[in-house]
Amino acid sequence: MDAPLLAIENLRTYFYSRAKRAFIRSVDGVSLGVARGETLGIVGESGSGKSVTALSAAGLVTAGPGVISGRIDLQSNGARRNLLDGLENYARVTEEDGRVMAVEKDERGWRKHSETLMAGVRGKEIAMIFQNPRSALNPYSTIGKQLVETIRLHTSLKGENEARERAIHWLDRVRIDSPRLRFDNFPFGMSGGMCQRAMIAMALSAEPSLLIADEPTTGLDATIQSRIVELLAQLKAETGITTLLISHDISVIQRLSDRIAVMYGGTVVETGRAAEVLAPGAKMRHPYTAALLASIPSAEMIRRKSYLQAIEGEVLDTIEVPRGCRFYGRCNRVTEAIRDNCSGHEPPLGEVAPGHKVRCWLYPTERNA
Amino acid sequence: MRRYVQTAGPIGEFSELSLRQRADPLDLLYVGYGLLVVAVVVISYTLGAFGWLPDDPQRMNVGLINAAPFTSGHLLGTDFLGRDLQARLILGIQAYFLPGLLAITISVVGGSILGILAGYRGGWFDTVISYFDNLIDSFPRLVLILLVIAAFKADIYYVMVVVGITGMPVIANLIAGKIAFLRQKSFIEAAHALGLPAHTVILKHILWLNCRALLVIQATLGMAEAILVETSLSYLGFGVQEPTPSWGNMVQAGANYFLQGNFWPSTAPALAILATILGFQLLGDGLNKLLEGKRRK
Amino acid sequence: MSRTILEVTDLRKHYSQRRGLVSRLTGQGRVIPAVDGVSFYLRENETVGLVGESGCGKTTIGRTVLRLTDPSSGRIVFDGRDITKLSRAELRPLRREMQMIFQDLDAGLNPRMRVRDILREALTVYERPSDALITSRIHWLLEQVSLKDSKLANFPSELSGGEKRRVGIARVLAVRPRLIVADEPTSALDISIQAQVVNLLRDLQRDLGLTYLFISHDLPVVELVSQKVAVMYLGRIVEMGLAENIAHQPRHPYTGILWSSLADKQSTEVSLYARGGAAAEREHRTWGVFDFEQPASGCRFAPRCPLYRDKGRPAVCTDPASEPQLRDVGHGHVVACHFA
Repeated sequence: MDAPLLAIENLRTYFYSRAKRAFIRSVDGVSLGVARGETLGIVGESGSGKSVTALSAAGLVTAGPGVISGRIDLQSNGARRNLLDGLENYARVTEEDGRVMAVEKDERGWRKHSETLMAGVRGKEIAMIFQNPRSALNPYSTIGKQLVETIRLHTSLKGENEARERAIHWLDRVRIDSPRLRFDNFPFGMSGGMCQRAMIAMALSAEPSLLIADEPTTGLDATIQSRIVELLAQLKAETGITTLLISHDISVIQRLSDRIAVMYGGTVVETGRAAEVLAPGAKMRHPYTAALLASIPSAEMIRRKSYLQAIEGEVLDTIEVPRGCRFYGRCNRVTEAIRDNCSGHEPPLGEVAPGHKVRCWLYPTERNA
Repeated sequence: MRRYVQTAGPIGEFSELSLRQRADPLDLLYVGYGLLVVAVVVISYTLGAFGWLPDDPQRMNVGLINAAPFTSGHLLGTDFLGRDLQARLILGIQAYFLPGLLAITISVVGGSILGILAGYRGGWFDTVISYFDNLIDSFPRLVLILLVIAAFKADIYYVMVVVGITGMPVIANLIAGKIAFLRQKSFIEAAHALGLPAHTVILKHILWLNCRALLVIQATLGMAEAILVETSLSYLGFGVQEPTPSWGNMVQAGANYFLQGNFWPSTAPALAILATILGFQLLGDGLNKLLEGKRRK
Repeated sequence: MSRTILEVTDLRKHYSQRRGLVSRLTGQGRVIPAVDGVSFYLRENETVGLVGESGCGKTTIGRTVLRLTDPSSGRIVFDGRDITKLSRAELRPLRREMQMIFQDLDAGLNPRMRVRDILREALTVYERPSDALITSRIHWLLEQVSLKDSKLANFPSELSGGEKRRVGIARVLAVRPRLIVADEPTSALDISIQAQVVNLLRDLQRDLGLTYLFISHDLPVVELVSQKVAVMYLGRIVEMGLAENIAHQPRHPYTGILWSSLADKQSTEVSLYARGGAAAEREHRTWGVFDFEQPASGCRFAPRCPLYRDKGRPAVCTDPASEPQLRDVGHGHVVACHFA
C-alpha cells in the first residue's frame, strides 16, 4: 500500500488562556492518515480538537502558541512534503516531565515561514469548505466571478471563456439549478444551502488533491442538510476526491466516511473503518464512542418513550487534563481490575483488530500486554 | 518574540492553585495616585469650606510679595499682593469642587436616562437621541460655553450645566451599548419573562450590576474635564473674579510677574492643576483597566 | 381528560420592516408575516412539539404566547383567561405561571451575579420568604436540576454549558410555573449533554406536573418528548397530530420530507440520486431555490412540493383564493393540504 495522501503525526496544537495562565491543549498528540481516494471522518464534541486538527493541516492556526510540534506530510506531485517543515526553528518549547511548560515564539517569523510552506498548497492542493458558507464567500462579487478567479488561479485554464465554461460546469456539478443564470448572482440573494453548494463548487474547481470539509452541514436546516450530505456523497462517487470530513453529527459522518476517528479532549480515542467502528453491537469499542452512539435516540427508544442514555458529567476542559485516561471521570465501564490504570496512566491507542485502534485499558493489545 | 508560560502546577494539581488574574502594577499605581488626589481635594475642600486655613487668604503683606516657599510662615510663599499662596490654593478648590460635582451629576444622570431610553425602549427614542448626540458632538464645547456666558452671565454654575450636558452623549452611548449586549444574550427578555418589574431590570440589572464601573469611570473623567474648563475660563477672566481665588485666575495673575523672574506664584497653581487633572485622568484609566479590562484610547 | 391550559386562536404576528427616515415617517415598509394565523391548544401536563425550519416562525409563537411580544391579532387564552389584551401590570402575576427557557444559555444569568443570587432573585420576585425558607428552596431547586451546592458561589462565566442550562432551568422553576415554553433548549449544547437535559426536562414534567411547548428542530427528540406535534411552514401550521402519527404516517408532503431528510442523512443505502433517477435529481435541485420572505400565492409550500409536481401542477394549489386550511382527517390529526 502506498503512503497516505495526508499523514498527520503526533500533532500538538496549543492555545493559551491569559486568564488562567495555562495552555489549552486543543490537539494533544494526534496521528492520522488519509489514504488517496478515501474519506476520513473526524467526529467529536466541542473542545475535542477535531476542527483545530483540520485547521492546523491547512496552516490556518496562527494565534497563540499554535502548532507546537508534529509532522503533517502531504503527497504532492509524487513528492512528500512536510507542511510544518522548519517551523520548529521559530518556536522554542520547554518541556518538563513530558508536559509543555513554556513556549517562546517569534510570531512574525513563524507566520512568514508558514505562509511560504503553504504557498501553492492551500486553495490548490488542499481546499476547504466551512460551516458558514455565506461568510466565506465574498459578498461584493458574483459567485461566477469568484469561481472564474479560482479556476484561473489554480488550474491550467487561463482563458476567460474556458474558465467561464468550467465555472458553469462546476455549478451544474453541485446541482445548482440553471447554472448560467446563477452565475451572475451575488451571495446575499441565495439561501444557505445554495451558498454551501457554491462554496463546494469553488473548493472543487481548483481540482485539489484533498478536500477538508469542516462541519459542512452545521447551521443549515434539516432538509437542506440532507441535500448537502447527498451532494457530497454523489461528488465523492463521481470525482473520488480524498476528503477529511469534520462533524459533530455522527449520522453525517456515518453516511460519508470510509474510515472514522473519534476525538475526545484533544486526542483520538478510536479509529478504524467506519463500518466496523459504528457497526451496531460492536464488541471492541471505546466507551466514549459507545456512549455517544447510545445517546442518540433510536426508533425503538422513541416508540417506547424511554429515557435517553446520557453521558454523565461535563465535556473535558483541555486546560485541566487529568493524569490518566481523559474519559475516566465520565466512563461507566471502569472495572476494579483496571481502575488504577484508568486513573493514573493514559492508555495508548492500541490495535484491537487489524486497522481498528482503541485508546482504552479495557482491551488488551500487544503493547500494553 | 512572545512568551507563553504555564504557571500552574503539574497534572492533577491544577485546580487547587489560585487562578486569579494578577492586576498590572502600573494600573494599581495609577489608581493609588488618583485616590490620593481625590482625598487631598476632598480634605482641602472641607478645610476651605469651614475656613480652617493656615493663613487669611485675603490678608495682604506688601512687604513680602512674590515670596519663595518656606519664607517666614508662608509654606508655599506669597503672591503679588503678599497673600499666602497655600491658603489661596486650598480656597481655590471651592471654585471648581461643587460646580464639578454638578457637571458630573448632570452628565451621569442625564446620560443614563438617555442611554436607557435609547437602548431599552429603542424605537424612535433611539433615533431622536442619536440626532441629539450628533448635534452636541458637532458643536465645539468652548464656543457653546461662551455663548451661554454671553446670553446669561459669567456664572460658573451655568458653565457647568453646559459641561454636564455636553458630557451626556458619551455616557448615553456606552450604556446603550451595554444594553444592546445584554439584549443580544436574551438577558433582558429573560428578566421580563421571569416577571421582574421594569424598574428592577433597569436599576438593578442594567445600571447597578452592569454599568456601575462604567459610570464611576466616566464621573472621574468628567471631573477632570470640569476642572480643566473652570481653570481655563478663570484664566481667561470669564470665571471666578479676583479677589476670590481660583487656580485659573491665580495662574493668570502670577503670569504678569513670570517674566520678571518670579516664576513661583504662577507655577504653584499650574502644578496643582496638572497634578489634580492627571490624578483624575489616571484614576479613570486605571479603573477602566481594572474593572472593565480595557484601556481608553 | 385533563384541562386545557393554553388555547391560541388565529394568532398573527407581522413585523414591519422599515428602513431609513423617509419610510419611518411615511409609515411605509414591507410587512413580514412571521406568524400567519396559527391555532392550537395545550392540555395540562402534556407536551406539544413545534417543529419547522429556521425562519418558519416557531420561536415567534413561543414569545407571543407568553406576551413577550404583542400579537398583531388573534386570541391567547391561558387557564381560561384571555391574556391577549392584558397590560404589562396585569400580566405580571400571570408570568409566574408561564415561563420560558431560552435558546441562549446565558439568558437570565446576569454575568455579575453569583448562582446563589440569581436563584434568590427568582425566588423573591412574587413573594418575600424568610431567609431560612429561601435557603431550603435553593437546595430544593439544586436537587431538582442535579447541581452541586458548590456551584452556588460561581459566576455564570465559571460554569460549563450544561451547568448554565441547569441553572437557567432552576431559575425558571423557582417561581413554580405550570407552563414552560422551551425554545430550542438543547441546541446550544454538546451531544453528550443534550441527552442529560432532555432527561431532566422529562423528569421535571413527571415530578412537577409541568406543561411544555417544546420548540425544536431536533426531530427525534421532539418525537420522544411530545404527545402532540405541530409542523410549521412559513408562519403557518401545516400539520398537527399525535407525535407517532406525524413521524410515521405524515399526511402533509412537507412533514414527510422533514422526517425523511433525517433518514436520508443516516441511510448508508443507495443514494437518492441513484434511486430516483432524473425525477429525484430535479427535486434535489429545486430545494435550493426559494424565498422565505415571499410566500407563493395559494399553498405556500407548492413551489417545493413534490406532490404538486407529480400531480401535474394543479391550479388549485396556486389559486390565491384557496389557500389550504387545516382539515381534520381523524384522531385529532389535522392537515392543510388539498390532497391529504
